[in-house]
Amino acid sequence: MLDDEPNQTNSSREAESMAVTVDHVSKTYPVPFLRLKKFLRRKFKPPVEALHDVSFNICKGEIFGLIGPNGAGKTTLTKIIATLIQPTAGSAVVNGHDTVRDDEQVRLNIGLAGAEERSFYWRLTAEENLLFFARLYGLNGTHARRRIKELFDLFEFEELARRRFAELSTGNKQRLSVARAMLANPPVLLLDEPTRSLDPIAAARMRGTIQSLAQNSEQRVTIFLTSHNLTEVEELCDRVAVIGKGQIRAIDSPATLRATHTPEEKHVIKFTSLAPADAEQALRQAFSERFFTLERTPGRQQWKLMFSSETGDETLDSVLRVLQQSGAVIRSVEIERATLLDVLEGYETGKSRGD
Amino acid sequence: MILLLRRIWAFLARDWRLTVSYRMQFFLRILSILIVVTTLFFISRIFTGFADPRFVQWRDPLAAWLTGLAVLNYFMTGFSSLANAIRQEQVQGTLESVLMTPIGVPTVIVASSAWDFVQATFFSFLYLLFGWLFFDVHYRGSFLLALVFLLLTTIVLACLGILSASFAMVFKRGDPFGVFLGAGSALFSGVFFPTQLINQYAGSAVAGISRILPPTYGLDGIRRVLIEGEGFSQVREPLLTLLVFLLVLLPFSLWVFGRAVRRAKREGSLIQY
Repeated sequence: MLDDEPNQTNSSREAESMAVTVDHVSKTYPVPFLRLKKFLRRKFKPPVEALHDVSFNICKGEIFGLIGPNGAGKTTLTKIIATLIQPTAGSAVVNGHDTVRDDEQVRLNIGLAGAEERSFYWRLTAEENLLFFARLYGLNGTHARRRIKELFDLFEFEELARRRFAELSTGNKQRLSVARAMLANPPVLLLDEPTRSLDPIAAARMRGTIQSLAQNSEQRVTIFLTSHNLTEVEELCDRVAVIGKGQIRAIDSPATLRATHTPEEKHVIKFTSLAPADAEQALRQAFSERFFTLERTPGRQQWKLMFSSETGDETLDSVLRVLQQSGAVIRSVEIERATLLDVLEGYETGKSRGD
Repeated sequence: MILLLRRIWAFLARDWRLTVSYRMQFFLRILSILIVVTTLFFISRIFTGFADPRFVQWRDPLAAWLTGLAVLNYFMTGFSSLANAIRQEQVQGTLESVLMTPIGVPTVIVASSAWDFVQATFFSFLYLLFGWLFFDVHYRGSFLLALVFLLLTTIVLACLGILSASFAMVFKRGDPFGVFLGAGSALFSGVFFPTQLINQYAGSAVAGISRILPPTYGLDGIRRVLIEGEGFSQVREPLLTLLVFLLVLLPFSLWVFGRAVRRAKREGSLIQY
């Protein structure tokens, strides 16, 4: 028994450091009135299995991304964490509270910003909308108004505060949705396409805000992000889960996911001031085999060296050093890496091949 | 408790703002009540001097109609506002965002229907006020006792409203309670004519319908208090009948509602309509 104690302490510490724990969650949407339909011998569609044995943890202060094609189960999973849907099997725990048994406590710990415009009252102003939701979170009038002002300052929304929601642009409606999710300062934010419909500057600011929330030393907010904007996911997320047909296919950092999917990266080095024959000779002396192609850039006195190497190895560094030592002036270096889109496509086509 | 009141206040403030954003509708409703009361006044003049001594409550038909309409308006709010609360939020698309706050589904339903009760109180009062102010309708008896009847019947109807809300959550449309109580109350509960006439013209089997409708007892009690001036000891019977309705319907409706919420969450259909 004594031997178990350190393990128990470790596991409880581990649990404490987790903001969200999803443990073997499955969700099958039942067929409505199945028994009645069977009794009446009516045709019915088979039950839809939206999630199958999904498990992962999200650490406190982590930005965790969930990507997958339409119908993969992202919304169902988000709604289970948000207590709006109950899982058929397994459990989801937010800051120690079970989403089924302690649903009200879970909702005190989370803020959800969805992409649904209709989730506000269109005839109320932006401020009146937030005031209503702040009161539902239990904030009194003074406290609520102070918090709303802070959020309007953060999102540069002050000028639009007294405009009716219906009169706001789609991007501003989106920003208000994120502001609403942050009303009660929740330690966990569930963000669904947070920069959808934002102009590039506003989108960059929103990304900055999301990053600063997670990095804030006072209250490290945990962020669960679902998005189809994979560049954004790559830029923001510490870890990403790929979901397809209700199952988690992979979970890792964006860099590791890319490297696992495509272990090679392509390089294109453009240089001048060195004859191609000299470049070739220098490279052959430095490397045992010819792994590159060399060609002239059309219309310019510039040469293009192309080769592939394993992600993260030192070939690029060595090639650059050899060229520079031989007198070449490097004009540009392009690295073509696999993107999260390639990763996602890889899992999808892999599945379709029957892998 | 303070938190619950704060949340109810949030819904009241929201609905007040939404109502004043449609000012015209509000004033037209007041005008329509005045028109209805005036119309009933002129119809009541047809019956002047023809009162049947069997129907004591109907000696002044205008007073009977106005109490009937005022109370029916309140009763129907008690019945329909709970289901409407869910339905309106579903249709607007705001139910999900409301349910994302730390507030239970029962609280959402009760708090979202609070404004309906405020409005119903106001508009029901207008029926009585316009009758008294412009058409010399006088009420007597204990207003407190009438209020007890009003509250008790409203709570009984709210239990049926909870069943209706449960139905709306699972089946979305086609609520049978609405049809039964909406059309049934106006016809069988004695809003526009004495219920005894149903027995006389349609037989005791049809008249039996009025006896299973809670509004019949509520309306009878209120008229006996306000029009006939009867006291507590004389109106014990309808009062006890309403209490029996309450004792049966309250636990049953809460049980059904709990099951409906669980089912909707399991199916993920809470926000669908």
